[in-house]
Amino acid sequence: MTDTSVLLQCQKVQLQLPGGFVLGPLSFALEAGKIYGLLGANGAGKSTLLQVLAALRSPDQGQVLLQQQPLQQLEPRARARQLAYLSQQQPPTDMTVQQLLQLGLMPHKALWQADSRADKAAMEAALSQVGLADKASALLRHLSGGEQQRAHLARVLVQQACILLLDEPVNHLDIRYQHQLLATLRCSGLTVLASFHDINLAAAYCDELLMLQHGELLAAGTPAQVLQPQLLEQVYGRPCLVDTSPFGQHCRVTFAPECR
Amino acid sequence: MTRQRVLQLLLLAGALAVSVLTALQIGVVDLPLWSLLTGQATDPLPQQIFWQLRLPRVLLAGLAGAALALCGALLQLLSRNELADPYLFGVVSGAALGATISSLLFPALALALPAAAFAGALIAILLVLTLAQRATTQGMQSLSTLLLTGLAVSFCASAIASLLLYQADSFAANRIMFWLMGSLSHADWLAVQLLAVSLAVTLVVCSLGRRQLMALAWSDDMAKSLGVAVSRWRLLLLLLCALLTAVVVAYCGGIGFVGLMIPHLIRLLFGGQILTLLFGSALGGAIFLIWVDTAARSALAPQELPIGILTALCGSAFFLLLISRRRSPNE
Repeated sequence: MTDTSVLLQCQKVQLQLPGGFVLGPLSFALEAGKIYGLLGANGAGKSTLLQVLAALRSPDQGQVLLQQQPLQQLEPRARARQLAYLSQQQPPTDMTVQQLLQLGLMPHKALWQADSRADKAAMEAALSQVGLADKASALLRHLSGGEQQRAHLARVLVQQACILLLDEPVNHLDIRYQHQLLATLRCSGLTVLASFHDINLAAAYCDELLMLQHGELLAAGTPAQVLQPQLLEQVYGRPCLVDTSPFGQHCRVTFAPECR
Repeated sequence: MTRQRVLQLLLLAGALAVSVLTALQIGVVDLPLWSLLTGQATDPLPQQIFWQLRLPRVLLAGLAGAALALCGALLQLLSRNELADPYLFGVVSGAALGATISSLLFPALALALPAAAFAGALIAILLVLTLAQRATTQGMQSLSTLLLTGLAVSFCASAIASLLLYQADSFAANRIMFWLMGSLSHADWLAVQLLAVSLAVTLVVCSLGRRQLMALAWSDDMAKSLGVAVSRWRLLLLLLCALLTAVVVAYCGGIGFVGLMIPHLIRLLFGGQILTLLFGSALGGAIFLIWVDTAARSALAPQELPIGILTALCGSAFFLLLISRRRSPNE
């Protein structure tokens, strides 16, 4: 019997990159409405995995199922209506924030369709969610790195997909916006898979964590199950202490500093 | 589009209308423009000069300028490289090879040269696209592959054309050399119609696909993740560019630098937003080439200067100016 709560499923996905790096074989499933954190050291394969799930790369073996359908067989626009992707780096362009958000609406638009009043309201709502309500007509390249990142997150929100694949979404953001955005995602009810370098942030906001090492899934489960000192030391090469955060029931990881 | 952008484009359109009317009045023969346009003129000679020579020539200059500049802007967006221009992808070398072959085989046939040039240009671009597609499916980067394949096909066609010219008699060689320098003296209504239709189709496709173009100009990954069928859109736009360039090259010969210079100028003046850039480049290119052609046919009248020489001079002056202005104040 198939589990109806599973939105995205990775079945023995394997991919070899030109440099010799091998991702997988990976098998896991993402359930509806949960926030998943993707952890791992540099070069563990986090971005590559997100690209495979976003159908930007085809796996050599195995397949990805989106709502029981093979991802590669879906029509591109139909896929983009269900799956939104935010890459790690965005080249600067001559585009206003408003135009970027219009791109987010693209999968829902026929070629000749202009933006409706509802679209404009959706764009305004997304902009205020990321704290950029007053920057709609600003050129992207005139914004700071953090503001650009927030504009891109607004674009992903406007896309109205049920699954968000975010490659280091809180990169460049100050502490306030890191928490504000992750809280927004938590309240949205969407399924999110996001890669993180800040383990404590992931532990505070994610329902489940996936830990990658050398392209393989080392551990998966709740933050309490995954964030084990031995496992963290194996991945990051530093001894650490795992306890409970004074601000809630989630784990807190403190790595031992290098001798000074 | 904001009101400011629309105003900027309207201003350019107004400048284009003024340019067309002024260029129609400049020439070896003074024409009573108003009575010709209103049908009051009775003398057949000015009528013939106006309707068969000057009007199609000015219109073709405008359309060719618009086509080259629009192609330049489109290719710069698609290749994300501000130095791309319509003469990339081997179009001109292919056309030159076609022209060379036709000049050697059918020297007396007037229509053979543009037809062969057109065929040569299309064969070259199809060859480039096929080879690049094959290399891309073998895992190479699609953009750089396209540029490198264009360069390779271009050099190969040039080499064959040079070899044929080397073996040919000096009359044929002269004819081809003059054609390669560019001229609008062969303008006729068929060329005007062909180019007008191709230009209109390209502008409509660009307007409908403005969002797709914006995403493609950003990155392939961005476009794919937004549901754009990247290869299909890129192929469609490249084919339209090839068609436009092939028609221009077939009828007007080699007119360089328009596709490179005008989009740069429009970007400097009005910024780089997609629709402003594309429509602004088309209008700007039309104005530019109308004036250059007017200069080419009236500066040393009754002799004509090849238009490609003038556009290349303007282009190099423009880029030297650009470089000197870019220098920081400390230097």
